[in-house]
Amino acid sequence: MVQLPAMKYILNKTIKFLPVFFSVLFFSEPASATQTHGGIEGVYAHQFGHLFFLVSMGILVFWLRERDLVKQKGWRFIQYSAIFFILWNFDTFLVHLLDEQLEIINVSKIDAALILVEASRGGRFIEAVYYAAKLDHLFCVPAMWFLYSGLKCLLKESDIDLQEERIQ
Amino acid sequence: MTISSFPVIFVDIAGSVLMIILSSMCLNPVHRLKNRDPNNVIWTYLLWVCYGLFLFAVSRSVGHLLKQVLVMTANEEIWKVINPFSGAVNTFMFIIVSSATLFFERIWKIYQQISKDRQAIQSAHRELLNLNQNLERLVEERTEALAVSEHKYRRIFEVSKDMIVVTGKDGIIMELNPEGYAILGLKRSCSLNSMKFKDFFSDEKEWERIEKIVERKGFVTNLEIELKRSDGVRMGALVSGSFDAGLPGKEDAIHFLVKDIEQRRLMEKQMAQADKLASIGQLSAGIAHEINNPLGVILGYTQLLLRNEKEETDRYNDLKTIEKHVKNCKSIVKDLLNFARSSKPEIKTTMINEAADDVLNFILHHSKLDGIDIIRNYDKGVPPMLLDEKKIRQVLINLLMNAGHAVGKKGSIGLSTEYIRQDNKVAIKVSDTGYGVKKKDLPRIFDPFFTTKPTGEGTGLGLSVSYGIVKSHGGDILVESEPGKGTKFTVLLPVFSPEAGR
Repeated sequence: MVQLPAMKYILNKTIKFLPVFFSVLFFSEPASATQTHGGIEGVYAHQFGHLFFLVSMGILVFWLRERDLVKQKGWRFIQYSAIFFILWNFDTFLVHLLDEQLEIINVSKIDAALILVEASRGGRFIEAVYYAAKLDHLFCVPAMWFLYSGLKCLLKESDIDLQEERIQ
Repeated sequence: MTISSFPVIFVDIAGSVLMIILSSMCLNPVHRLKNRDPNNVIWTYLLWVCYGLFLFAVSRSVGHLLKQVLVMTANEEIWKVINPFSGAVNTFMFIIVSSATLFFERIWKIYQQISKDRQAIQSAHRELLNLNQNLERLVEERTEALAVSEHKYRRIFEVSKDMIVVTGKDGIIMELNPEGYAILGLKRSCSLNSMKFKDFFSDEKEWERIEKIVERKGFVTNLEIELKRSDGVRMGALVSGSFDAGLPGKEDAIHFLVKDIEQRRLMEKQMAQADKLASIGQLSAGIAHEINNPLGVILGYTQLLLRNEKEETDRYNDLKTIEKHVKNCKSIVKDLLNFARSSKPEIKTTMINEAADDVLNFILHHSKLDGIDIIRNYDKGVPPMLLDEKKIRQVLINLLMNAGHAVGKKGSIGLSTEYIRQDNKVAIKVSDTGYGVKKKDLPRIFDPFFTTKPTGEGTGLGLSVSYGIVKSHGGDILVESEPGKGTKFTVLLPVFSPEAGR
């Protein structure tokens, strides 16, 4: 009901904009105005996605704690899941930053069992960090496990609530 | 640095597989939660998040696994083609998950509001249920109490020995209790339709007075009125009443309680009469005693003088006249003493039926009662009684003589006896169809020297003497009379059997 005036407003604006839109579509001259997207732009979008995911998980943790939901086992596990997703996002963001964004890491295959990790800056520390960061599933799998455990607990708590309701 | 690729490849493959497994496992509990409570927005929210994560995990893991397979099979070129698409899908998926996650706070607020509202509704429902149950119980209790109360007041209304009548403001009878029907002489089957209470008042002005008092004060108490029964008989009554302002929509009413005081009035009259006669009796006895002695002396000397006088002389005649009048005086004095019950009765066993019949035959023999019907009705169950037979005979003679005088030349005289077993009394009834006694004279008929006969025909002592005799036997004498229709005397005598003695 509240949305109706807003929709009306958008519709009015759209109707007013339609003549302009059709004029541009049918009567425009060829131009080089369309912006092209290079390869790095996708990396940025992906990185923003990771940051967005990280922030949203941070906000979720904040609200769970703010609402004291973490006192319940189920929501506490979901909080752990969100924390692991934050770590995972941070980890993957770092990996993408090092090898695709800053391009300071170069990985080449030596043979079937060995790889060569080379850092143009930072030396062995960066190489070690990059190698460890490549093991990102060590964060996302526990995150998913905690999510599953949290949901199972919520289901169990819901069972208890349901039984109490029936007793009442 | 040169390092083994195995940990990275292993963690990547195992992690991808686990991500697919775990994300799909998450769908089961969240679906169950959602199915259990489909309207719960939190479960809906979690379902969306889990589906987002599932799609994200599948797209990412499939991408990773595909990459590993293609790299291992030396098809890295193909992977280079797929890689941007896989990355884009990945980005898209975790943006969806992130977006959904951001709504958590809003969703939680909605959930809390819904929960609060639901709790409020449930609480209200429980309260309503409780109230409803209480209400049912209360209604049940009140209905029962009302039924008990209704029964109690209905019983009071029905078994009351006073008349209870409910009328409208206009006097139309709305309700009348059974005693009311009896007092007013109405049959129970009689309809009260439009019957007015004032129609039963001997004097309508009394009703108007009651109406005015009720209108002014709201009630009326112990007002003495005379009611007129449906058969025309009038009776004294004491009326109390109060105005009842009806409930909204109901008619106003006046509730009356009417007490029959006819019996009480009669008793009061009888007591006053008895007191009066007792006083007259005492006075008469005193006078009679005082007069009796001088009369005895006068009679004695007169008779002495008569012995020495020759008959047919003037002096002899004068003395005879004195003797005659003295004897008359002595007779009156004797009657007065009888009335005053000062003379001792001579008790003996008497068969009242025989005595009554003898008296009647005597009267018939000595009086001119031709053309008068004589109705005898003796109760054979009357037992032998201890009485002063002579005096009782005198009572019956007085009553029958009066009856004969009242009837005149045509009519009927009734003489009956009845044994009233429950009171152990015998009633001797002498009735006639004569001219009756005027209402104003009724209270005085037992007074000594009261007579309605012409001067010289009666001394006015007959009924007084009878009254005294009956009272000296512990009995009573009642009279009912209606001018023009006749009179009935009832002599009530207690039965003392000869075996028991007196």
